[in-house]
Amino acid sequence: MSSRTTFIGAVEIGTSKISVLVGEYTGRELAIIGRGECSSRGVIKGMVVDYKAASDSTHSALEQAEREAGERIDAVFLAQTGGHLEGFYNEASVNVKSSDNMIDPGDVRTVCDLAKSKELPAGRMVVHNIRRPYRVDGRLVPGSPENLVGQRLEVGYWNVHGQEQRLADNIHVIRGFNLEVRELVLSSLASGHMVTSPEERQHGVLAIDLGAGTTDFVLYRDGAPHTTGVVPVGGAHLTNDLSIGLRLTEGQAEKLKLRFGRANVQTKDKAQKVWLDGNFAIGDRQFPQQAIEQITSARVWEILEVVKRKLGSSFSPETCAAGVVLTGGTAKLTGIVDAAAKVFGVPAHLGEAPTWVNENTRDPGYHTALGLLYYGVSSHAERAAPARRGGGFLKGVKRLFANA
Amino acid sequence: MNHALVNAPAARSWREIPQPVKARAMSNGGRWRLVMAGVRTAALTLLIGAFLWGAWLVLSALRDDAKHVPASAKTVPMKAPELQTMRDGVLDGTWLARTLELAPGVTLLELDLQKLRERVLSDRQVMTATLTRRFPDRLIVQVTERMPIARVRVAVGAVQQDLLVARDGVLFPGYGYDVAMLRTLPWLDGVVVARDGAAFQPIPHMAVVARLLADAQFSAPHLYHQWQSVSLSRLEADREIEITTKDGTKGLFTAKGSFFMQLARFDNIVDRLARQPDIRASIDLTLGREVPVTIERPDPLDPRAPAAAAGIKSLFPSSQSKNKREL
Repeated sequence: MSSRTTFIGAVEIGTSKISVLVGEYTGRELAIIGRGECSSRGVIKGMVVDYKAASDSTHSALEQAEREAGERIDAVFLAQTGGHLEGFYNEASVNVKSSDNMIDPGDVRTVCDLAKSKELPAGRMVVHNIRRPYRVDGRLVPGSPENLVGQRLEVGYWNVHGQEQRLADNIHVIRGFNLEVRELVLSSLASGHMVTSPEERQHGVLAIDLGAGTTDFVLYRDGAPHTTGVVPVGGAHLTNDLSIGLRLTEGQAEKLKLRFGRANVQTKDKAQKVWLDGNFAIGDRQFPQQAIEQITSARVWEILEVVKRKLGSSFSPETCAAGVVLTGGTAKLTGIVDAAAKVFGVPAHLGEAPTWVNENTRDPGYHTALGLLYYGVSSHAERAAPARRGGGFLKGVKRLFANA
Repeated sequence: MNHALVNAPAARSWREIPQPVKARAMSNGGRWRLVMAGVRTAALTLLIGAFLWGAWLVLSALRDDAKHVPASAKTVPMKAPELQTMRDGVLDGTWLARTLELAPGVTLLELDLQKLRERVLSDRQVMTATLTRRFPDRLIVQVTERMPIARVRVAVGAVQQDLLVARDGVLFPGYGYDVAMLRTLPWLDGVVVARDGAAFQPIPHMAVVARLLADAQFSAPHLYHQWQSVSLSRLEADREIEITTKDGTKGLFTAKGSFFMQLARFDNIVDRLARQPDIRASIDLTLGREVPVTIERPDPLDPRAPAAAAGIKSLFPSSQSKNKREL
């Protein structure tokens, strides 16, 4: 990041809505100065299926955010989700080269390159290489192992990769507004970074972002992301289930879900009914409340079970002492916290943005965009810093032109 | 979270996806941003260009400043100065060398350009002069010369001297002109030339005379080549100019009207008078359409002598008419 002020747009192209936040980054401080929101079109399960519709709605949100900010966005941090994203773990180890067994930067570089060097299938591209803590002779090292003494250095990477075409589609939607995508960040990492505290991440915490089309999750252990994943099922499926089960239009089903949907069945009386609109107008109908709760809770439990199954052995109540944190639009569903606690067997709570976040952007719908800005800025700065140190005069001039 | 734990991917990364996008894939907002980006780039380029140009100008100015010249340039002997004349000048390198009087082996930094310029301008044939150093060893002298339109003979004490007169009235000896060309120039008459130190003061009202001569030269060259003298004796008082041709015919022009029309009438009358040999006529063109012509028949027993110059005076005084006849 250069020292001059940069206006960064954090864009989340979701299945139900597109959120944009504009951050003014001075190199040391980041301030939110604008936001834009638009109903999403042309996006299913987090993937662009209609370029024109997705572009129009995304650009509309970008324009709205720029208008509110009163500034032109320089670059975009884009959230990435979708069922095409997968992850795998790969680790490597090297013997320390120096005679005094002191680890030097060359050892660190070698072991990292080895751990990241696993080939991907054709058409797949790396989105993130998330490093887990180093181990020196089996001893966990939270920070850098340089200058520590040991015989064997080990490291593991959680590698997240996605389908090239799907990634390109998302990037081209932003490029269509003549903006550069500077960072691509997993939605789960972005929202997880926002709703969990450093202490929770150190003790182990599972952050689940329940969106409309997808459910993104990230498991933190030892202060770092351990496992990430995406389940291509979200709140929109609850609506769809209600629509099919009760023979309603999508709009009516959405209305019922928001008013009477629950993540656990609480209504005992099968005869207890609720009105669709409640205004006694022609066409207003009654539905059994227990049926609504059964339909929605079944799907929510299924989603949470799938998340648990995907985590596999990585997750255990012992390694996730801080419990489960839920965020995203579907996390507003009544009883979902209890459901999550039962499924995972650990305490659960709804995620909240840190207290310093402005009231206007505290809504769970902005957690991912907020996380994009803060996570993206810090990771981008860290990634750029070593390159800047190693740059010569020519590289400096080249960077000058690139920034211009 | 510890951000150091997330490193840049080393394998095939999303960063390898090409970001350029075709214009057809852009929305209107995107195209507008693209256009504005182009405009900004162009403006930036212009700004940088202007800055570089300004810097070049400053450097050029500094280059001519002796204080910013490398020490090695101070020891290089100067080449012969170069003369650049404008508007078909006739001055040459010999004249320049004689005028500047530079010592052999002198370096550029030893020159006092201001004094040299004054020396060049002291020759009244030079109207403007610019002297430029071109390090390490060249001196460029750019001059604009005065063009002569008439001649005048002045007496300085007992010595008579022929001088050239420019259109601004400045008198100068003239260097490098073709003698045949100088012979075509008419003499000035009826003027009093005053001294100005070693030189002479400019003759006033020469712009009007220059206009008449230019009109004659370009509109009626056959008449102009016959003009021997131009008298300015009545110019200041009556705004009238009298010319005398080689055969003694006189023409009186007024500066109040168009010289072109007067020249046309003069040409017509001269043509008609040419049928009558051995006469001298005085043609008065100052009255417009009415043109009085005085015919004078020369008396062979009374040859006219040229007027004597008293002090600084023209050698071509006006003649008195004797026999008058309206044409």
